[in-house]
Amino acid sequence: MPEIDINIIIGGPQGGGIDTSAGMIGRALAYAGLNVISVREFHSNIKGRHSYVHLRAKEGTVRSLTYPVDLLVALDPDTIFEHLQDVGKETRIIYDSGFEGSELSQARMIMRDTQKAIRVNLESGGYPSTVKGMLESMKARGGVPVAVSFDGIISEVIKDGVASRYYNTLGAAITLSVLGIPQEHIISAIKFVFGNKEKVIEPNVEVVNSAYKFAGSLNIDPSGFKKSKPEKALMLTGNDGAALGKLMGGLRFQTYYPITPASDESSAIEEHENIQWIRGESDNLSKGGVTVVQAEDELSAITMASGAALTGVRSATATSGPGFSLMAEAISFAGMDEIPVVITLYQRGGPSTGLPTRNGQSDLLFALNTGHGEFPRIVISSGDVEECVYDAMNALNYANRYQLPVIHLIDKNLANTTQLVNNVDPRKVKIVNSPVTTDKNGFKRYDLNTENGISKMGFFGRDIFWMTGDEHDELGHVTEDPEMRDRQMEKRFRKLETADAEIPIQEKVLLLGEADASFTLVTWGSQKGVCLDVLDRFKKKGVKIKLLYLKMFHPFPSEFVYEVLKKSEKVIDLESNMLAQAAQVIRTRTGFKIENQILKYNGRHVTEDELYEAIERIIAGKDTKVVLTNGA
Amino acid sequence: MAHNFRSDVAIDWCPGCGDFGIVTGITQALTEMDFKPEDVALVSGIGCSGKTPHYLNIAGVHTLHGRSIPYAVGVKLANPGLKVLVTSGDGDMLSIGAGHFVAEGRRNTGLTIILYDNEVYGLTKGQASPTMMLGMKTKGLSRPNIFSKLNPIALALASGYTFIARGFSFDTKQLKELIKKAIAHDGTALIDVLQPCPTYNNINTMEWYRERVYKLEDNKDWDPVVTEVNESQTASKYQQAYEKSLEWDQKIPTGVFYQNKTVPSFTRRINEVVPNYLETPPAKQQYRDSQGYTIVDPESTFKEKLVEAA
Repeated sequence: MPEIDINIIIGGPQGGGIDTSAGMIGRALAYAGLNVISVREFHSNIKGRHSYVHLRAKEGTVRSLTYPVDLLVALDPDTIFEHLQDVGKETRIIYDSGFEGSELSQARMIMRDTQKAIRVNLESGGYPSTVKGMLESMKARGGVPVAVSFDGIISEVIKDGVASRYYNTLGAAITLSVLGIPQEHIISAIKFVFGNKEKVIEPNVEVVNSAYKFAGSLNIDPSGFKKSKPEKALMLTGNDGAALGKLMGGLRFQTYYPITPASDESSAIEEHENIQWIRGESDNLSKGGVTVVQAEDELSAITMASGAALTGVRSATATSGPGFSLMAEAISFAGMDEIPVVITLYQRGGPSTGLPTRNGQSDLLFALNTGHGEFPRIVISSGDVEECVYDAMNALNYANRYQLPVIHLIDKNLANTTQLVNNVDPRKVKIVNSPVTTDKNGFKRYDLNTENGISKMGFFGRDIFWMTGDEHDELGHVTEDPEMRDRQMEKRFRKLETADAEIPIQEKVLLLGEADASFTLVTWGSQKGVCLDVLDRFKKKGVKIKLLYLKMFHPFPSEFVYEVLKKSEKVIDLESNMLAQAAQVIRTRTGFKIENQILKYNGRHVTEDELYEAIERIIAGKDTKVVLTNGA
Repeated sequence: MAHNFRSDVAIDWCPGCGDFGIVTGITQALTEMDFKPEDVALVSGIGCSGKTPHYLNIAGVHTLHGRSIPYAVGVKLANPGLKVLVTSGDGDMLSIGAGHFVAEGRRNTGLTIILYDNEVYGLTKGQASPTMMLGMKTKGLSRPNIFSKLNPIALALASGYTFIARGFSFDTKQLKELIKKAIAHDGTALIDVLQPCPTYNNINTMEWYRERVYKLEDNKDWDPVVTEVNESQTASKYQQAYEKSLEWDQKIPTGVFYQNKTVPSFTRRINEVVPNYLETPPAKQQYRDSQGYTIVDPESTFKEKLVEAA
């Protein structure tokens, strides 16, 4: 039996239940024993514009998405118009027969530039600018349109009520039935998605029954499914992963100001404010919920989180580029006053408002340089949902162990990626803090008598000490004394040397793939998964490539990185930005210049097919720089 | 023995500065209320007022320009048992930090905000602050002020503050009593403290104020307190406070303008939703076991995300 590997796009209007639909599909596939990854793509819009979920299910590890897809499920005409390039040989295009007559000119929710490109494309092939023309064009690429009457299937079982209300369930049901997923799994998924609302579950289950009956008549031969061994996993987005990691890492105070794609993390923490405990020792500890505060702006979010940290609580905030810009001054203050605070920075396409709901990795250099003056900070990045969990725990540890601001980078693609995380391990990361003072009189918060730069902590409500954004003496009072200035500056930066020495290399950088390969691919953030999948494909073809995957940018593992790069015959840098920012960091920190670049800045995730081709071109010496363009 | 809350740091405000009276008012209030130094925390912003924490023997943080309120909110919400005082100037609070000033009215966190109101930015050589009157030309200005004066009492009312008072820095006896009432109030309190800047404000001098200030409490019928959830009572107290807030030129009222005891503080509102919040607030929680591992159970906390293959 061939290995199961299915790529699906399900698209429809924003606000029309695409998320619900994708949630049902993802869960049902997981119940069937498959591994699932999915990414949500949407406009900065509440209702109407085209949104879709790209989902992949495999028996083994699934880390990336690829084109063309096996199934394109269109819950509206716009989905047909927008996804021509994602259709290939044998792609099944499931759509409502009623869409066929829809004209491109009536598709008002398609962005003007996109509409123009679609028209040019259709006209050049001699097709009319309608859904029908689009389907003809898809057929020419090998696609197989499957016309369905959405309302017909629904009206078989729903006699009163609006049929379109069930499109999301119908889309999920048709998808799963075509794939041969047993009906029981989607029914379980529906029961889950709609909670205990019997009145809602019942008609949705009827729609599923009707859809499965209909799919049987299509005579599509589904590949059979072999159930893999049952796993216990959490199905999480990157936002969820960071939220969970923060809670596990001891976070009890989080602030935020609403911004895409960061707010979902704070909502996830708030939804779980009633924390569940590991029974046993915790029974006798003093416990409570987590406090999440929506601040009036990001200036307030970061300063409120910093204020909370003065009382000894583990505290954090989450934001995206525009909000992070506003936080700059307070991050400098946290560096100066040695305040442990975590800023989870969800990167989206910039500059300015940029592409508010799309992917980007253009804030790396900004994160490294935010805030006036020189102060120590730690900057880390995550590349998959599992890493989000443990990195969020580590971020709180770094902040509290070294008493400084920690910036945790997660890109939009990862924030909105759903993955199964197996066996989340509460004992994987130990919670570490700074020593706390026992001095009752004359406590020196900024005691210079410390080799590693770490002075003892004290807490408001327990200890008496002072803090100021001005340069300060050991007690925390303002000073402009030149010698005290030098010694405090040096003490603060000694902490960074301590951090660099104490943090294990695997939390900074990983060397993955074929260790003896002469080609080296360098990346960071959410491209990790797609790189590993592409490396596997090259390996099958006999081409060995290793992956230098960066996780910590400050302090930077310069020696390790330089050792790997200088021994490589060819090095290729892959990033979702225009200026190859990580390559710039490498150049600054190691002196090594990476000659080949694969960059993507259209706001969409990197897919396996385009990355494979780009690497092939570079290895063959046809290009030294490739800009990736996939994605609707 | 009751504490003297002054630290041993030398005060470097100008001679005759109104800030001295505020420090006296604070230390006297804390002593009379019999607080221990660790019961209280002080948060300030930037400017002359920002130096206050260093002069007091309590935990204190001298933060950023305009941000004293949100830093203080963080301290208070993480450890709601603490009495958190904010000492901030008129520029700090009503210009660069005006957004936080307004937002704090909606929150009613439980801060005691002492507004150092001298109409100028002293430390940067006397520019006009938001409370300076239109057309006024003080020493530091090259021409008369072309901005209108902001009314802090009216702004606090409109923002939802539940305790609003005004003091005069040369009447430390009244100021001390106002600070005590403000600290005792369950909600955020604002005290607008009128004070001269002897170096840069040569118009609103100590004498200028002395000729004008009078005490609201000297009128035996003055009752600013809303004691029950009652729309008409609230409306009439709000109305009289607003009217009093408009008095300025010849007679300037001091004392408590408005107090509403019926609005729950933000910490009480959080306690309604976050388990054990007031009993074990964030700062009082233990989050690791004796070996240093988390006590959070990931799968049962995120149980709705759990998937098991059928």
